[in-house]
Amino acid sequence: MPVKNRFAELLPEIAGWRQDFHTHPELRFDLPRTAGRVAQLLREFGCDEVVEGIGQIGVVGVIHGRNGPAGKVLGFRADMDALPIIEATGLAHASTEAGKMHACGHDGHTAILLGAARYLTETRNFDGTVVLAFQPAEEGGGGAKAMVADGLMERWNVDEIYGLHNMPGLPAGSFAIKQGPLLAAADFFEITVRGRGGHGAMPHLSVDTTLAAAAIVQAVQSVVSRNVPALSPAVVSICGFMTDTMAHNVIPDTAKLTGTVRTFDVAIKTLIVERLRAVVATTAAVYGATVDFEYMDGVLPTINAPDQTEHAIAAAQSVAGAVKTDIDPSMGGEDFADMLAVRPGAFILLGNGDSAGLHHPKYEFNDEAIPAGCSWFAALAEQRLPLAG
Amino acid sequence: MPVKNRFAELLPQITAWRRDFHAHPELMYDVHRTAGIVAQKLREFGCDEVVEGIGRTGVVGVIRGRSDSRGHAIGLRADMDALPIHEETGAPHASTVAGAMHACGHDGHTAMLLGAAQYLAETRNFDGTAVVIFQPAEEGGAGGKAMVEDGMMERFSIAEVYGLHNAPGLPLGSFAIRPGPMMAATDEFEIVLEGRGGHAARPHQTVDTAVMACHLGVTLQTIVSRNADPVGQLVVSITSIETSSKAFNIIPQRVTLRGTVRSLSTELRAMARQRVVEITEGTAALFGGQARIDFPEGYPVLINAEDETGHAAAVARQVTGDCALSPMVMGGEDFAYMLQVRPGAYIRLGNGASASLHHPAYDFNDEAIPAGCSWLAQMVETRMPTV
Repeated sequence: MPVKNRFAELLPEIAGWRQDFHTHPELRFDLPRTAGRVAQLLREFGCDEVVEGIGQIGVVGVIHGRNGPAGKVLGFRADMDALPIIEATGLAHASTEAGKMHACGHDGHTAILLGAARYLTETRNFDGTVVLAFQPAEEGGGGAKAMVADGLMERWNVDEIYGLHNMPGLPAGSFAIKQGPLLAAADFFEITVRGRGGHGAMPHLSVDTTLAAAAIVQAVQSVVSRNVPALSPAVVSICGFMTDTMAHNVIPDTAKLTGTVRTFDVAIKTLIVERLRAVVATTAAVYGATVDFEYMDGVLPTINAPDQTEHAIAAAQSVAGAVKTDIDPSMGGEDFADMLAVRPGAFILLGNGDSAGLHHPKYEFNDEAIPAGCSWFAALAEQRLPLAG
Repeated sequence: MPVKNRFAELLPQITAWRRDFHAHPELMYDVHRTAGIVAQKLREFGCDEVVEGIGRTGVVGVIRGRSDSRGHAIGLRADMDALPIHEETGAPHASTVAGAMHACGHDGHTAMLLGAAQYLAETRNFDGTAVVIFQPAEEGGAGGKAMVEDGMMERFSIAEVYGLHNAPGLPLGSFAIRPGPMMAATDEFEIVLEGRGGHAARPHQTVDTAVMACHLGVTLQTIVSRNADPVGQLVVSITSIETSSKAFNIIPQRVTLRGTVRSLSTELRAMARQRVVEITEGTAALFGGQARIDFPEGYPVLINAEDETGHAAAVARQVTGDCALSPMVMGGEDFAYMLQVRPGAYIRLGNGASASLHHPAYDFNDEAIPAGCSWLAQMVETRMPTV
């Protein structure tokens, strides 16, 4: 079974939804238009239940198979939020919201899951229940965690959970997946360095905050290069460096450093946090400065369960033939991990062709991938929840 | 088939050889006593051919099987050299040579291959030829490469080559292996930073190589932390920094830094080598100095061939009932040179809860001998079964 024909017919309509979402991007939990549109469409399709406001503003749709509510329950998840990026695609359907953009393809994910919902409500060629979870705030807001905390899994008795993400560089409509660690745990930290500000001409009267902060950026490099075992993937990046004054002749009083830690393993993460605390504090002390170090746990690592990975591969094979399974894990993070932490499931990558990279101002979701994405969800439902006889 | 009974009988004798080698460690290519004993024993066993002086002090023994219907030859390799370490085991068979020690278990590897050679010469239950290879200078001297360059593979028509290394921490007498890259490429570099020395009270008249070297040491950290794909495996270590003057009041004219790059892929290796050079030259230029880098290519990545790894694991399972998947390790191994020119595999043999390799308290565990000998002999019998 290749791509389902129905999705070829529905493609203009699904692409229309996608481009509409693209034109009207919304951030984090603040996505009333997108969530409202999703709920409205799910009701039009004839979902058996549509509930809004799960995890603040997430939407849940329920579709029973041919034999009603009995049987296994599969959860399918899509994310709805956009990014605070100024779009530079120049497309007809480019963002009309200044400083907001669907630069990670969540517009496509949401449209694909809506398309699958449309087909599944029409056909119901499965025995069990499909629960659709449209989540807010994947981009750093903990939307998945919020929906889980709101009882998503228990309220609808979700047994397994599946999701997909588009992947630039992978041929459009093709699939890639691996069992076990796929995406990294992504945590964040903020370091406030406090020296003693003063005149740039008289550094000897100050404690130079800029110098201390710069030394911290260098010293932190040793955590990955010296403390983490070479066989364990890990990243520590200091990304932001902000002094409290931009003047040419003022030594700042404080500087903020912001960064991220990426790991696959709790022991490595613990090691990195301990070392960061020590390296940051002692380096500041070298220059007579002090620091506040704030570490914020972000998303867990995305770990694909063995059995569900096999099901995801089988569905993808039925859609696309070959599936790429020899991929390396990526240091990117994904808050679907918070759903995988409470239910077995799998996350698959869907090729977006030769597009700009994710989070790039020229990135665009490739509508040609829609039929494959929709078919994968539909095939999963029909293969995992087969009708008897 | 478990451990071969013959090796239980031979154990006291093989253990005695091992401890004799341990008591008389020799370094690099200067392994004359060890190589002499090896050659003498191979002749006593009745090897069909014993050739000394391959790769300077390497020894090769040839044992022909009962038949040779396919003209197939399998190489089994052991290393003979010790390390410049002062032994602290306190064992009765401890090193009698000051500052030299078998701290990597090559005494055990050599004794086990001798044991296997004795058995194979006695029984000859195989169809083809077993070539036993005893190499010098595994520890930094590229003895494996020297034997390959001496034409060993062609001269003895070796079609496949196998070797083993003891592994502290792995259960005693158990086996572990992995297909593909298993041990790291090891490149070593020496950087000489040249500045302008002078009086420490007048730094403005100098180009300070000490400051330059300290910056370089820190900046080289970014190859792993910033340039390498974190999913890959790479180590860059600066291991020595030495100023040309040790005085309190002299800014040194030059500083020498030494270190090593360990990598498990050719791409990462090439990237790291290039970045070491770029960062070194850039940092020297930054402070107005000059850099000279001596950066010979060291041991390549040890890559186990897919099929031969399967054969090696199957034989390990016959011997002990199991074979674990080995992790990749950042240590290097010059058997990689032999695996570059012939398909083959390198397996790890558990040394139990011993001190780690290259530690002054390390000792090869003689209880692993029967498993190691059995694996070596069984590789020959399994890969070249009698017709």
